[in-house]
Amino acid sequence: MKIKRHFPITDRKSDEIIAIYHGEKIEVGQFLTEAKALASRLPNNKYAFNLSTNRYEYLLGFCASIIAGQCTLMPPNRLDNTLKELAQQYPDSYTLGTSGFSYQEIENGTFRGKPGEFQNDDNPLIAADQLCAVAFTSGSTGKPSPNPKVWHTLRAGSFGNIALLLKNTGERLNIVATVPPQHMWGLETSILFPLLTNVTISDQTPFYPQNIAEAIRSLPTPRALVSSPVHLRALLKSGVSLPGLDHIFSATAPLSTEIARLLEKQFETRVFEVFGSTESGIIAGRYTTTETNWHLSELFELEVGKTGTLIRAEHLPGVIEIHDIIEKIDEHSFKWLGRHQDMVNIAGKRGSLIDLNRRLLAVPDVTDGVIFSPETESERLVAMVVAPNLKPADIVDALKPVVDPVFLPRPVYMVPALPRQETGKLASSAIRRMYEDILKKKRQQNETA
Amino acid sequence: MHTQTEQERELAELIVECLNLEDVSAEEIMPEAPLFGDGLGLDSIDALELALAITQKYAIQLKADDENMQQAFGTLRTLNAYIMERTT
Repeated sequence: MKIKRHFPITDRKSDEIIAIYHGEKIEVGQFLTEAKALASRLPNNKYAFNLSTNRYEYLLGFCASIIAGQCTLMPPNRLDNTLKELAQQYPDSYTLGTSGFSYQEIENGTFRGKPGEFQNDDNPLIAADQLCAVAFTSGSTGKPSPNPKVWHTLRAGSFGNIALLLKNTGERLNIVATVPPQHMWGLETSILFPLLTNVTISDQTPFYPQNIAEAIRSLPTPRALVSSPVHLRALLKSGVSLPGLDHIFSATAPLSTEIARLLEKQFETRVFEVFGSTESGIIAGRYTTTETNWHLSELFELEVGKTGTLIRAEHLPGVIEIHDIIEKIDEHSFKWLGRHQDMVNIAGKRGSLIDLNRRLLAVPDVTDGVIFSPETESERLVAMVVAPNLKPADIVDALKPVVDPVFLPRPVYMVPALPRQETGKLASSAIRRMYEDILKKKRQQNETA
Repeated sequence: MHTQTEQERELAELIVECLNLEDVSAEEIMPEAPLFGDGLGLDSIDALELALAITQKYAIQLKADDENMQQAFGTLRTLNAYIMERTT
């Protein structure tokens, strides 16, 4: 007979601080009361789109949904088209945090409790197999693929993450994240950490370097920044000075050793890089400046496959294949060799070139075309398109509703034909040659102009 | 008013140059058209690049005052006004 397991929504003591919300310290007990009150007010649907831009409100909504037996959907971007498509796939859903159900009542004080007035014994228990979140990944089929996460997956994964990331950060930590909570990297750090260990989060999602500095300053020490290479490079180049920072955690794309070194020097901090996927969550980490190999979290087993790597873990629903190519050093560490050719990673988002190209060819009046990565520092994709009646702006406008902004090609070159082989295949060497010719012609034009 | 002021033109040239916008010329950027999403169609990577270029040229740090940070710099006109307010 299988005994159904339950785990509490939080492992923390009621007087610990879970978040700084609009400048105010929120105790765990107060948060629990607010989450339970919100749970009783939520619409009666199975799925919630939580679009809150305030991190504490996201946390509240996330937990309230779980307490109410619901599941939070995590769309890969905020495009209307994406949300509409997902809403069609999940018709029994509502929107939390923006134009749907709003947090006005929280701000007006209806849900707000007072510090110190809560009992610790009424901590909601959640079934280990309750579906709590679905994260979506874009693949080559065009439709976002669902990755369901039950409570046990989130909890067990988090304890692995805590052991991996927080072993050197002391008894308590205050975190600012630049990555939204709707992204797995944001969820695992800025939502699950404050529930399961002694971490306090800032409710901000700062964007510009100056905002990042102020958000860090608003927290007590010790402090950590959870971010990604695009933001960290901007931070470095901006010349902004940061207050004392214990750690910088980076994920979503590889961070160059050089940038990590500069960050450690300029901000007197340590940079810990994290490796994972939406499907598996975080699986490994390393101190970028001093370690070449990645340390695998104890929860996981890796197997080198033909087109990628297979990941197994007790708390995951099945074997997961990721498109990264690794070299195992031993059961606990590996080297990262690169990514499978189809997948591109831009500003922390994963996209499929096959899917993008399919969408390009579906644009009316496009006879032929290709979107590819020229692999420059700017990370942007480039397109070469055959469409006698269209201009580059027309192509981009046609793609905008269905493609995440970071994958929109720039620039788009209009060309008379693509160098396809007789079989119709387009070799990447041929694409590269054609692109280099275009650049050469441009340089020559600029010189004679 | 649809025409660019001299300062707006200078800012438009900075935008085109620092973001390598091949298909747009500085004078084509309508002062009151959106820069992000619609209109010029800039995204979050551009916002960070642009912020850096502005810091380097005008010696000020861009800052968002609320959670909808891109609204504050929605157009060439509002972005220019923000910069002008903070430079002597």
